[in-house]
Amino acid sequence: MSELVEVKNLTKVYEKKKTALSQVNLMIPRGKIIGLLGPNGSGKTTLIKLLSGLLVATEGEILINGYKPGPETKSMVSYLPERTYFQNSMRVKELIEYFADFYQDFCPERAKQMLMNLNIDENSRLKTLSKGTKEKVQLIMVMSRDAQLYILDEPIAGVDPAARDYILRTIISNYNENATVLISTHLISDIEKILDEVIFIRDGRVVLQDTVENIRERKGKSVDTYFREVFAC
Amino acid sequence: MLGKLLRHEWKAVWKVPTLLIGALMVASVMAGIPFLFPIWESDWIGLPLSAVMLMLLFFAAMIATSFGIVIYLTVRYYKSMYTDEGYLTHTLPVKGRDLLLSKTIVMSVWNLISGIAVFVAMMIFYVIMLFGLTTRTSIFTAEFMDALGELRELLNSPYFEGMWGFLASLGCMMLTGAVGGSLLIMGAINLGQMVRKHRILGAIGAYFGFYSVMQIIVMVIMFPMMLKVVFAANHTDASEMSVFALYTPMYFVISAVYAILAVGLYFLSEYLIRRQLELE
Repeated sequence: MSELVEVKNLTKVYEKKKTALSQVNLMIPRGKIIGLLGPNGSGKTTLIKLLSGLLVATEGEILINGYKPGPETKSMVSYLPERTYFQNSMRVKELIEYFADFYQDFCPERAKQMLMNLNIDENSRLKTLSKGTKEKVQLIMVMSRDAQLYILDEPIAGVDPAARDYILRTIISNYNENATVLISTHLISDIEKILDEVIFIRDGRVVLQDTVENIRERKGKSVDTYFREVFAC
Repeated sequence: MLGKLLRHEWKAVWKVPTLLIGALMVASVMAGIPFLFPIWESDWIGLPLSAVMLMLLFFAAMIATSFGIVIYLTVRYYKSMYTDEGYLTHTLPVKGRDLLLSKTIVMSVWNLISGIAVFVAMMIFYVIMLFGLTTRTSIFTAEFMDALGELRELLNSPYFEGMWGFLASLGCMMLTGAVGGSLLIMGAINLGQMVRKHRILGAIGAYFGFYSVMQIIVMVIMFPMMLKVVFAANHTDASEMSVFALYTPMYFVISAVYAILAVGLYFLSEYLIRRQLELE
């Protein structure tokens, strides 16, 4: 199977008939870094939550490596939400044990090395860490897995430019090369340089899926500029 | 994976209930201590008053422990399943039923432990109190020994026939009650999530709904049995009637009702987690 993710006619309708995604069809290949781009409320997070198994689709089908979302796909998908999801009373080293217990592809040594690089003490309790440090710890946990699909929801939103560089470096230097990284963001200029492909999403529909190279060659524009044109208000 | 889930769930919750139970034990000892000294003979009113205050504190601690543990575990379940922490819980590569089972087992065990802890705390208090009273007043000692003798006679009378069966039914009811109670809370929280805009209110409403239904079912089933008890009381010589023999089947029936409801609530929760999950 060449495609890692197949999304067929995916629709998600929330309460009061609010359609977040409508008849979405996607093929996500292996070994790529893909930007999931769209304005606020376009359906990016809904798509990500469906891929991660945090929502149930109203219609349609998702297959990740041939499996519908469930325990099998969760063992292959490493998901970074746009919020911190740890229990505050835990210590960093307990998090490492937790991830090592549940995720067979988790590499504790890699996590410890990254923590050491950032001078984060493994014995610290999460409640004593700043919001930014907690986000870094979360990124380290997620990127210390040898997953097949990394889904990163707004990984650089709300952090300073220096931290953005660190996050992007961490993503590039730690992901498994046979794996795919799906990054959702609206800070396109910051991540454009690492992307292979982009998916533009608007009003719950996919309006474009193309390689960054094609966009640059055919449109003669950067992805950021092209995005601004497509989504001009 | 169930073993790992159980281990981490236990590790995440054990501290607060243990602390509450520890405080209860200390309160039980403190409430009993005044009986070791003849404080009622003191001229200063402050001493007997302090003893009363300690006893009130002990009763408050019993209530706080029972309710505190249930409330703590309820909040913990809600947080780990449906707040930010739920993003980690629901992305673990585990089956929904294992997740639910681990939380049910841990909550039920703590429900049982808290019940046992309250019983043990009462025993500690009574033992200290009796020890203090029997060593200080000879009149009380004589009366206490008489009462013990009467109890021994009572245990051999027909009135106490079927006591072991009764204790078994009581144990069964406690066990099914602990599991059923846990699943009632979890089921209500899970169902409350269907009220997307007011999830907590939905959960509270669902809890009272489930609780009322459960009480109605128990009442309907109990009614003929209660009539039987009343009928037996009117037609049997009270000295020959064993209260245990009458209540044992009733408690077994209540246990069966709790068990059936627990199974139903488990499958409802499992379905809601598997098919209706919608994290905010």
